[in-house]
Amino acid sequence: MSGKEFFLSRYQQLGWKYREVKLRQAIRINASNVKGKNLVGRLEALGVHLQKIPFLPTGYWVADSKVSAGATAEYLLGLYSIQEAAAQIPASLFCDLKGKKVLDASAAPGGKTTQMADLMQNTGAIVALDVDKRRLTALSNHLERCHVSNTVVYLLDARQTHNLNVKFDRVLLDAPCSGNFASDKDWFKNRTIKDVERNAALQRELLKKTSECLTDEGELVYSTCSLEPEENELNMYWAIKNLDLEIQEVNCVGDSGLTNVFDKQLDPKVARCRRLWPDHTQGFFVCKLKKGNKQQ
Amino acid sequence: MKAKVITNFAAQFGLQVAFNPDLVIEKNGRFYLINECLLPLVRHDFFYIGVFLGKAKEGKFFPSFNLLSMLAKEGGNRVVLDRKSAWLFICGRDVLPKSILRIHGSGKKNTNTLVLNEFGECLGFGRIVGKLSGDGKSDEIAMRNVSDVGDFLRRERY
Repeated sequence: MSGKEFFLSRYQQLGWKYREVKLRQAIRINASNVKGKNLVGRLEALGVHLQKIPFLPTGYWVADSKVSAGATAEYLLGLYSIQEAAAQIPASLFCDLKGKKVLDASAAPGGKTTQMADLMQNTGAIVALDVDKRRLTALSNHLERCHVSNTVVYLLDARQTHNLNVKFDRVLLDAPCSGNFASDKDWFKNRTIKDVERNAALQRELLKKTSECLTDEGELVYSTCSLEPEENELNMYWAIKNLDLEIQEVNCVGDSGLTNVFDKQLDPKVARCRRLWPDHTQGFFVCKLKKGNKQQ
Repeated sequence: MKAKVITNFAAQFGLQVAFNPDLVIEKNGRFYLINECLLPLVRHDFFYIGVFLGKAKEGKFFPSFNLLSMLAKEGGNRVVLDRKSAWLFICGRDVLPKSILRIHGSGKKNTNTLVLNEFGECLGFGRIVGKLSGDGKSDEIAMRNVSDVGDFLRRERY
């Protein structure tokens, strides 16, 4: 069970009709590093024309550019990062990150880590984990370029988070996933439903293990760039049934999470998730969960 | 002792800086500055932590751009480049006297100096090898590029 036809028929059953998508490059301003500087004006002067992304506080589309946005002095000085628009959403969903102890469970290459450090204004502490040493080098370079000072990085599988003996106020689980066709032109060729099921199982393990390291009242934001409900709504449904987690309302762009998946009826609270079908952004899914809220 | 290598390096720019030695961590010749919040989270097997200050290799210290930025905020030997030369410096090029807008500090030959752009942002550092102030026509190199932030791009190639 694979191929473009197979997956497109699934999407149609879920209520979305396939269309070609051309992704626009997006940047995120590192507000802590830009204080008092007219970054947008400086980039305009270089021929990098920006358009504000309406649903992101510090996000801009690169409307057109005479130079590579990844090779300006301003980029090298950490004044902004290149980060796809939808990927900027998860970190923005946490309530008040300042001074908190935060776990970034699958951190490399570090776009969301540096975003959280910026939102935290380098207060508190972030523990950033990943299982790929080469990707940790990219993450470390990213932290250095963005002048991040509140992060410690470990080569560690997030399923082993309990070995750190730390309870976290906030957990970002941007889970390893099957990805989507909008950001991978060979996606339909390379993916099968088996991959999706394997990833979904790994994601449930990660959800279980990382949620166990949350403080009481701690928040966990789960995200993937997959369109497959097994990795998204069905996992969130599983999480609220099996873990001490409750889905929170979020004020963010996107469609409500699906509550009927291939004729399986889910808890209505799954609608609080946000699903972004590829359009202005890549495909994306995000959900905010809170611990110890079963009584609500 | 850990902080000594950093303070010695800063002295090359005419700066006296002090770091709390308890908050400077060395691992495999790499130096990191941490804060009180990170302290309880430090395990021996960390990959990266806090602010990377630089690395020592074969008796030589290679500063990070974070350290250079911190030093630039403190003062010391600095030159400010015009816009075009600032970009050329990031591309690894040396500096001609006509590119220099302002000189702070001694400006003496065979000393190191931090290199800033017109916005006061530190782009790296260089070694003064000639006269910093010329007649505007001189093509003699005033300062050799030692290290510049273009390194972040060069690292991505490997």
